[in-house]
Amino acid sequence: MKNRVAPLEGACKDYEEDLVLYYYGDCGAAERATIEKHLVQCLRCGKFVDDLGRVLPQMAPKPELPQAFWDSYFRETMAKLEEQTERQSWWRRWLAPMNGWLVPAFGTAAVAVLAIVLVLEKREVATTIDAASSTIPAEVLVDSNQLEFFKSLDILESLSTLEAQDSVKPEPKTSLIDDRRGARALA
Amino acid sequence: MKTYKPLLAIIGMFLLLESSALAASDDWRKLNPKEKDKIRRNYERWEKLPPQDKEHLREEWDRWNRMPQDQRDRLKQRFNDHRRNPD
Repeated sequence: MKNRVAPLEGACKDYEEDLVLYYYGDCGAAERATIEKHLVQCLRCGKFVDDLGRVLPQMAPKPELPQAFWDSYFRETMAKLEEQTERQSWWRRWLAPMNGWLVPAFGTAAVAVLAIVLVLEKREVATTIDAASSTIPAEVLVDSNQLEFFKSLDILESLSTLEAQDSVKPEPKTSLIDDRRGARALA
Repeated sequence: MKTYKPLLAIIGMFLLLESSALAASDDWRKLNPKEKDKIRRNYERWEKLPPQDKEHLREEWDRWNRMPQDQRDRLKQRFNDHRRNPD
């Protein structure tokens, strides 16, 4: 081993890591100023930085690659690129010029189709409602409470009479027409 | 990506409104023909009632809704019994 690296002499413990960063220029301006101020006073750390400049380039020397390697590397890269281009499917190549506007156009078309479907669906519902009952207004048909009310109309008309017949004590009547209507409904 | 967010929000609102409109009319669609016919007949009858009777029936409806479930079931049962067997 000809290029045997001489061991680094120690720097001040507090500065050792910072000195490596300082050597690589990876520290901020304030840190740099502090280190430089320290280096003026500390010969040991100054020597450490000098040693870094001597030792580190030897630890990671740049590999010297022959020209034949780079030629081969270039040929392989070009061959892979060509292969990838050939493998690209026909429709992707066909659609390539449209990439800029295809997605927005497709999105707009999808929204338009959705809107049309929903409008047609709603119209169909409205038609069904109209056909089912031309006499009942739409606001009644879409209100479940109203529908329930008209479904229960018979029982409401005879509610007081039913309560009177029931063993449970009925609540006070709200109107005098209860008996008349109730009797008619039950008849 | 920023331009898609308002678009998605608009579509979401649109779908929400449409679904609520469809859901609202769903109550009527879910009824069977017999129930629909009963509601139609009752509505036509209701329209011909004098205002004081309409008001009274609305009050009875409120009272009916305030009744406990078991009382409502009992009265419904009694009403159906009377319908089936008037004597």
